[in-house]
Amino acid sequence: MTRSKVGAAVCGAVATAFITSLLSTSALAAPPVDLSKWSPEYVKSVAGTKDFDTAADCAKVTPLDYKGRVTLWYQGVFEGDPDILRQNYKEFFEAFRATYPNIVLEDQGITYNDLLDKFRTALLGNAAPMVVRLQILGGTEFAAKGYLQPLKPEDIGYTSEDFWPGAMKAVTWDGVTYGVPTNNETMGFIWNADVFKRAGLDPEKPPATWDEVVKYSKQIHDKLGISGYGLVARKNAGNTPYRFMPQLWAYGGGVFDEASSDPTYKEVELSSAQSKAALQASYDMYVRDKSVPVSALTNQQADNQPLFLAGQLGMMISHPSDYNVMLDLQKKATGADAEKAQTVIDNMRYGLIPAGPDGKRAVVFGGSNIHILKPEYVDGGKVDEPAAKALICMWTSPEWSLKLAWVGSNPGNLNGFLTKWMKTRLETTPFLDVTTSMLPYGVPFPALPESPEIMNIIVPDMLQNALTGAMTVDQSADDAAKKVKDLMAGGGL
Amino acid sequence: MTTATGRAEPSRTSPRGEPGALRAMWQHRVDYAYVLPSIVVMLIVIAYPIYYTIDLSFYKTPPSLQLRDKIFVGMENYTAILSSDVFWRVTWNTVVWTFGSTVFSFMLGFGAALALHRDFFGRGVMRAILIIPWVISAVAASYIWKWIYHSDFGVIGAVLVGLGITSRPPNFIDNVDTVLPALIVVNIWREFPFAMIMMMAGLQTVPDQLLRAAKVDGANAWQRFWHVTFPHLSSVSTVTVLLLAVSNFNSFIIPWIMTGGGPSNASHIWITHIYELAFGRQRWGVASAYSVLLFLILMALGYFYVRALGGNESKDRGT
Repeated sequence: MTRSKVGAAVCGAVATAFITSLLSTSALAAPPVDLSKWSPEYVKSVAGTKDFDTAADCAKVTPLDYKGRVTLWYQGVFEGDPDILRQNYKEFFEAFRATYPNIVLEDQGITYNDLLDKFRTALLGNAAPMVVRLQILGGTEFAAKGYLQPLKPEDIGYTSEDFWPGAMKAVTWDGVTYGVPTNNETMGFIWNADVFKRAGLDPEKPPATWDEVVKYSKQIHDKLGISGYGLVARKNAGNTPYRFMPQLWAYGGGVFDEASSDPTYKEVELSSAQSKAALQASYDMYVRDKSVPVSALTNQQADNQPLFLAGQLGMMISHPSDYNVMLDLQKKATGADAEKAQTVIDNMRYGLIPAGPDGKRAVVFGGSNIHILKPEYVDGGKVDEPAAKALICMWTSPEWSLKLAWVGSNPGNLNGFLTKWMKTRLETTPFLDVTTSMLPYGVPFPALPESPEIMNIIVPDMLQNALTGAMTVDQSADDAAKKVKDLMAGGGL
Repeated sequence: MTTATGRAEPSRTSPRGEPGALRAMWQHRVDYAYVLPSIVVMLIVIAYPIYYTIDLSFYKTPPSLQLRDKIFVGMENYTAILSSDVFWRVTWNTVVWTFGSTVFSFMLGFGAALALHRDFFGRGVMRAILIIPWVISAVAASYIWKWIYHSDFGVIGAVLVGLGITSRPPNFIDNVDTVLPALIVVNIWREFPFAMIMMMAGLQTVPDQLLRAAKVDGANAWQRFWHVTFPHLSSVSTVTVLLLAVSNFNSFIIPWIMTGGGPSNASHIWITHIYELAFGRQRWGVASAYSVLLFLILMALGYFYVRALGGNESKDRGT
């Protein structure tokens, strides 16, 4: 199956998939794109159909000659990102300074795993920046604590319908909107066709279910002596929930009922039979079959990338950007290593993330949101609102919300799909259609202040307890469920 | 001479204390004025944080509330800590980590100091090489060692597999049984140069004439070491061990960067656990209670350290 055939296949799958939680709200009155028609072909058909003038749009929010100062912390580019993303970030800041020459912008990029800790610490000392761009998991906590100013797309010249309904839920706490989505992402399933072929598997057919992932992983390991699936189970690393939660949801489990169309987050589901089945699948790969990297407990996705490029890993979950990361890494290789890396790149395939035993398919609806802090928590005690809104307007514009998500995810502003840059992006970024096809299967993390602890600590702990043999699978799941219950009740260690 | 403790001499004018103490302070008012700025700074940067930490340890801080909205829970954090399995596990890890790192760093450092105390060709170069682990960044060292230990493509694993000694790379840091010893090895590697420098300094104070006299009296090398050199180094040894112990008790960088306390809490020591509780889980109250307990333990170690220093000073004065 060629790449285009893969695209066609996922198109068919997506056409029949119902867009549940992300699309089932009354907020879909008049979105700029028809979400009910969502498919790779539809995305291609609307790309390049509308022009936008970012500076003119933002001038309506904050005059271009406005004189002011804004401080920004953002979850930015890190070691696992491709160089093209670094370039796009650089261009954005240059563009902002050119558009608003009289606004002094002090920006600071912080990696995903460090941002929450640093931001929390700064807030305790009333030393936060005026604007912060946080991972989707983090915003609710700070909104609940009262650190954020109410901020909705209408405040910066857009409408709430311009953004994914699921993303808008993630910036809403207690009925009030506290931020604007910058980008939204869903990952895809990547495999090495050459490894599949040598292991006796169909090189163009990815595993359809998670049970098949376990089976394929074992077959690859037994036949070739390399790791089959790129399991990640490090604690305090965003990569872990992004890879385990799709598995958990596909088996019908969850932390709560977050995978349902109308989640209530009342009942803890981690100790359900379905959740345990998902955990058992990881256990089978790590302990029983030893078919995944041993280092999965201390490593993250950035460590899987070189393994994959070296032909030492058969399958993994990641962004379309991993293709560009592989290209970047390949450029740094020399001699036989470079040739080997090229072979891997030529054999990279992307597909839908596997489904569960009942055909349920899921992926984390991730991304980031941008927020304005209340003045009393900001370094210096003041927020320059016009300057902050000018920055947010530009970042979340159709143009820049797309460019800043170039190879990693999708624009938070749905108008980004209509731009000419989207057309360019589709033409130049392989496998993009696969991950946009996963959007309808996206499940947002629970919009709760406790979510960071659940996703970054409790869920990885559950995995580690099971995979190290510190507890049985059942005990690990029960222990994690108890921790979540205690946490939600305001107690526990 | 009657003063043997090295403490300030008590007021001669008032054996009962208070008025005499005030008078003594008044007599030394200029001295106090000189140290006042330092005392004020210490009160701000040390005393207040200690007070605040103790205060915070009596409160609960749920993730949905700001710190200022904390809820008073009395001793609940302390009872929760002492009744939790994780606490005892982390405490045991901390004891193993501190004891193992301190003892082996000291022994290795002492051995290296004895070796380098002798005059031989290339001694200066050897001394410089051995100091390298201590002077390089702990963060950089942690990443390098993580790569050396890596369970899939680590240097040690590659060598062992290459030599045909094992079929798979050994699992050092992704295994609950081996992770802590593996981290202790890294810590020893980083710390032994400190012990070496301290003991080298101590060795230079051992009087040559004593060693020569012992030799003339027929003492062999071991007897000279055990009966002359080692007793002379007891004070510096005590100080070195205490400093290493305090430093190890407070270690953070190596375990946090290499494993984050994992897998399954197997390499969590007090400091990393406190950090995770506070910054990862926002349990500021519980983390503060942990910190208070840690503070008490370190104060006890500090007490012995000061006593050891006092002992040194007494010996130096020959009292």
